[in-house]
Amino acid sequence: MKKDLNKVRNIGISAHIDSGKTTLTERILFYTQRIHAIHEVRGKDGVGAKMDSMELEKERGITIQSAATYCTWKEHDINIIDTPGHVDFTIEVERALRVLDGAVLILCSVGGVQSQSITVNRQMDRYKVPRIAFINKCDRTGANPLRVAGQLRDKLKQNAVMMQVPIGLEGDLKGVVDLVTMKAVYFEGENGDVIREDEIPANLMDECEAKREELLDAASMFSDELMEAVLEGTPTPEMIRAAVRKGTIALELTPVFIGSAYKNKGVQAMLDAVNLYLPNPKEVENTALDLDKNEEEFAVSNDPDDKLISLAFKLEEGRYGQLTYIRIYQGTMRKGDTIVNSRDGRKVKIGRLVRMHSDEMEDIEMAHAGDIVALFGIDCASGDTFTSPDISVSMSSMHVPAPVISLSISPVDNKAQVNMSKALNRFTKEDPTFRTFVDHETNETIICGMGELHLEVYIERMKREYGAQVEVGAPQVAYRETITQRAEFNYTHKKQTGGSGQFGRVAGYMEPLEEGNYEFVDNIVGGAIPREYISSCDKGFQKSLEKGALANAQVNGVRCVITDGAFHAVDSSDVAFQLAAIGAFKDGYMKAKPVIMEPIMKVAVEGPTEFQGGIMGSINQRRGMIIGTAEEGNYTVVEAEVPLSEMFGYSTVLRSLTQGKAEFTMEFATYRPVPKGVADEIIKKAKADKEKK
Amino acid sequence: MLKKDLIAKNPLRILNQDAKGKQISQRMGLVMSRAGLGKTAILVQIALANILDGKKIIHVSIDQSLDKTKTWYDDIFKDLIGAEHLENAASIAAEIMQHRMIMTFNVSSFNRPKLEERLNDLVQQDIFRPACLVIDGFDFTKASREELADLRELMEIMDLNIWFSAVSHREDDRVSANGIPAPCHEVDDLFDTVMVIRPPAKDQLCNTLNIVKDSTGSAQAGKSMQMDPASLIVQG
Repeated sequence: MKKDLNKVRNIGISAHIDSGKTTLTERILFYTQRIHAIHEVRGKDGVGAKMDSMELEKERGITIQSAATYCTWKEHDINIIDTPGHVDFTIEVERALRVLDGAVLILCSVGGVQSQSITVNRQMDRYKVPRIAFINKCDRTGANPLRVAGQLRDKLKQNAVMMQVPIGLEGDLKGVVDLVTMKAVYFEGENGDVIREDEIPANLMDECEAKREELLDAASMFSDELMEAVLEGTPTPEMIRAAVRKGTIALELTPVFIGSAYKNKGVQAMLDAVNLYLPNPKEVENTALDLDKNEEEFAVSNDPDDKLISLAFKLEEGRYGQLTYIRIYQGTMRKGDTIVNSRDGRKVKIGRLVRMHSDEMEDIEMAHAGDIVALFGIDCASGDTFTSPDISVSMSSMHVPAPVISLSISPVDNKAQVNMSKALNRFTKEDPTFRTFVDHETNETIICGMGELHLEVYIERMKREYGAQVEVGAPQVAYRETITQRAEFNYTHKKQTGGSGQFGRVAGYMEPLEEGNYEFVDNIVGGAIPREYISSCDKGFQKSLEKGALANAQVNGVRCVITDGAFHAVDSSDVAFQLAAIGAFKDGYMKAKPVIMEPIMKVAVEGPTEFQGGIMGSINQRRGMIIGTAEEGNYTVVEAEVPLSEMFGYSTVLRSLTQGKAEFTMEFATYRPVPKGVADEIIKKAKADKEKK
Repeated sequence: MLKKDLIAKNPLRILNQDAKGKQISQRMGLVMSRAGLGKTAILVQIALANILDGKKIIHVSIDQSLDKTKTWYDDIFKDLIGAEHLENAASIAAEIMQHRMIMTFNVSSFNRPKLEERLNDLVQQDIFRPACLVIDGFDFTKASREELADLRELMEIMDLNIWFSAVSHREDDRVSANGIPAPCHEVDDLFDTVMVIRPPAKDQLCNTLNIVKDSTGSAQAGKSMQMDPASLIVQG
């Protein structure tokens, strides 16, 4: 039976770390009867929340990998991706957002809009994800949902409008007033599953009327019918909902809901809101690239009868092999079908098609456009497109940030060596921000990622899941080199001793490239270098870029222009010109005044105002540049740009400095030249390392 | 265009020195206008004139976000460069960042002790020693004379230039003897320099920036400068 796409929702749940996403997801699963008991994230029963399926996640109380799950609420099929909150795992959030049609942005009613919420919000903007907000933890001391809604407007630039008013706050939180129906809603029973509607308490009437007025004002901007009805004093709940839905899907309105997942309040109303206000797959325009028409962009049809187009957005190593999470954009996927991976043209047969519920799965026969399902035992990489065999289409590529930190790992014994390779192979497929390579000079395996915690988690997973014990080196920052001025080069490579000779001359200049990493320009006239050796010059330059002369770091931002050269009818060859280009690069590089660049992180430290001086001091000691300080009630946020090399171990320093009351997030901002003194140190160290080898 | 051309393009640089070319280290200044005429733009141009002169400034934003304030600087910097090519633009932009710090306060919590505490955090640890403060969004309708005198004292103790912005209202026509409009008409003696932005006269497009009072000798009272209607940049 075909699914009614109007009743399908693909949603993500994203937020700042510790604002209660996993707890909320747990309640959703309970109310939609996917699970039959509630387990807390760090609960005393030791079971852990359902969505935190990895052992490590349960232990640390954080969600590392997004697990997809499926539930039904009031005849709607809802696919939920639980996403991690820590910025080191942002690729997970981004990938989830790429395949979702809508999202619930969770905010803490005490902490409000925190730095990570800003990052997540920016990502949602990038992927044009309509969202509703849920202000959680209204049972906490200091809860102030109205202030948080204000922050949604000021800090996140959302047209946030309250859809509910709380009945009581902090310890007295009893329920909410629904401003659409103007009814009080109470969540009773042991697990808040008994919903009772009642009249609005008299003491809240004025506030509710004022807030409803604001809601009607905001919603009527999206519906003339509602605007007229408001003027006549006859708006119906259906009209209001339709207008709010229109505004939400157009990304011009963010309806705000409140509650406390932990105290079982407001979750069902939020689920209703997912059905009512977030778009179904047909209402979101997704585009793909037609590989037969020079990558022309076109909108996917969402039609289950059309040719299949689907995207593998996440891989997981299951107990029985690789599990590939897939979003179907058009067409139908059936067990036994043959599909094609458009990246390499390989055909694969679908052996098992499953619907995921965290780490448990349910076998299904087919899945339609709009669905999120998983395939079993298919070898592919994250981000691959699968289609029907007779079309050649790729979903647009995903934004993948470059890694900024690396460290060396070496297995302790032979067994660990084998397991380590297996693990690395798996992780690099799962996570495009995690990369690995072998340094041929030291024979060490290097892993690179987005932050200390990112790499730590993979090392831990290597040990736990693959039994690979490794010794870990100190983290290394991924420095880059670049040139600052134009310089000429002219180099002749000549070797005429023994065997066949080698000859090639390459002349021209290099100059800084403002955008991009490398550009090769061929300005040779009159055949000074024969056509067949031009690409050899390009290759030679590219090889030179791999390791700069200052700190053995990758060289970026260089344009190499060749203007002249010479060849020999017998002795010139591909290799000779590659070597000539390498020599030419060496010749010009130091004259082009190269500098070392280091990754600079955007850091936001949030803590009680009394620690502000200490926080600023700690940033200053780390060569950080404080951009500003912002007051948020009793908290202050210090925003700064700090070199990554100075941020190692900062969490420990910050903890002891602020009695554990401050937290920080960081994300990659840019590359900047290092100061002279630091550059000298790096060059010295690079030299020493080279000599050691 | 070179950095020196960029400096020369900003007429508000004259406020950095007195008539004899000596740097003014202490001053309490005020930029007034009705809402929406460009007070923040003028404060940012004053700040940029100081920054490009090698001084450090703190921009205090009351009830405005950090990002919004940063955007003001980015936009004014871009508009100052205009269509010309600025050499080393990236390093000049980096210099601006290094010489500027933004502090935001809620309107209810801004007062001298708090500001002084924050400044001391920076100065005593040698993190950032400002020569100039611009304070945008200070509510003069609620501030007492004592509070302002207190801030003036802070200016003297910390050896600072402090520039404020203040909103005047069309319906309130009270003015001081110096011609300084309400709500600052009774505290105008606490300010060394007062500038008022006036909307364009009939058949004109540009707002004008009038120097109503100056006791530092850096500008002549009565001097008037035009502001570009689109970018709000003061024209030479």
